[in-house]
Amino acid sequence: MRNLFAFIYRFRAFLVFVLLEVLCVYLIVRYNTYQGAAFFNSANKYVGQVLEFQSGVTDYFRLASINSTLARENAVLREEVLQYKAMAQLDSTRQLDTTYYAPSDTAQVLPYILHAGRVINNSVRRTNNYLTLSIGTADGVQPGMGVIASNGVVGRVKTVSEHYATVTSLLHSQMLLSAKIKRDNTFGTIKWPGGDYRTAQLEYIPLHVNPVKGDTIVTSGFNTVFPEGVMVGTISSVKKESDKSFYTIRVKLSVDFAQLSYVYVVENPHQDERIKLEQNAGILTDEQ
Amino acid sequence: MNSKFGIGNIFQFVVFVALQILLMDNLVIFGVGFCFIYVGFLLFLPIQLNRVFLLFLGFAVGFAVDVFYDTMGIHAAASVLLAFLRPLVLNLLTPRDGYDTGDSVNIHVMGVRWFMAYTFLLLLVHHTAVFFLETVSFAEAGHTLLKVLVSTLFTGVVMVILQLLFFPSKRATRV
Repeated sequence: MRNLFAFIYRFRAFLVFVLLEVLCVYLIVRYNTYQGAAFFNSANKYVGQVLEFQSGVTDYFRLASINSTLARENAVLREEVLQYKAMAQLDSTRQLDTTYYAPSDTAQVLPYILHAGRVINNSVRRTNNYLTLSIGTADGVQPGMGVIASNGVVGRVKTVSEHYATVTSLLHSQMLLSAKIKRDNTFGTIKWPGGDYRTAQLEYIPLHVNPVKGDTIVTSGFNTVFPEGVMVGTISSVKKESDKSFYTIRVKLSVDFAQLSYVYVVENPHQDERIKLEQNAGILTDEQ
Repeated sequence: MNSKFGIGNIFQFVVFVALQILLMDNLVIFGVGFCFIYVGFLLFLPIQLNRVFLLFLGFAVGFAVDVFYDTMGIHAAASVLLAFLRPLVLNLLTPRDGYDTGDSVNIHVMGVRWFMAYTFLLLLVHHTAVFFLETVSFAEAGHTLLKVLVSTLFTGVVMVILQLLFFPSKRATRV
């Protein structure tokens, strides 16, 4: 017994080293798979305060560009409001008499809810990039919700605290996004291969369709995270490789991730109902 | 005299981590050159420090950076590895007549060649660990290796600059 203790004492440095490394590997594995209540991340209250202070300083140097982004977005929204007004005047099916009542798509009645949030921490140059937003559960944000900017898809909420949220950016090696080519509705998967933060890849587009350079890529709306038709980017190059049964397509992302200042967290009021239905039907086998 | 862990080291810890999070996070060369300046905290610790204590310090500094980088465990793992290898490297590089009690990791005291060998060896190990843990696979090993080399060079140069600027040259050079 004494020998055992003597042995442990002699190799204490190595044993502590092994223990700490095992702890680190456990942390890495757990943080990558476990989406729920990870405590030590940038959604943590104190960490969030430091990051908010930092962006409070750096934001002053970007005020001009932030203002112009907001102004541009206001313009787009105004335009859209006008369009809806015009449409409402044209669309009078709901006011028809009971004989010819045409019930419209329920998705129109309850639209997606947007929560605006400021980006207080952002990265674009790592292999796995994350953002931190200064909104949290107090503002209605929940893990798993989609995040979009005024000009396209940004990512998905990973963890939330009361006033902050961590978002897995589209620029993450394990982030997959269901998307389609707007022109002919062919759907595929957007994946970021690393490297340049302006381009991603569109995968699983079969060889019988004809994607061309400049085609617009939008979200498919097949999962419950993003609404259908949110801009992702435009095709910048299409390659047909002889040993593959899919095209190799590079997509220029519409969002400039290095310039993000304000984003919107998308809440889908129908999400629970739809997921439950699809799970009962056996379509959704596991949580994505 | 210099072999104690004191208030100055705690101050260094805070400064290095703050520099890493607030400044170096935004400073990336060509998308491949990263600067992990916080490693300097571990490198510049007193030479005759308890090995077990050093391991815990490595974990602490790595963990602090991890929390802000959202890379749970990666920097901690690499820093603990560095803290484990530091005494071995110091042994390997022992000067002909051994370390004096007053010796510290200081480019003026220990000489440029000793400092370069010590710094770049440990940085190489640390950066290799960080970038390969980040990608997990060896799929893009070429790109990762490039990142490791450029980042090691970058961080190493920053370490030398830090030494020349902030570490006093009280004693005459040794080599």
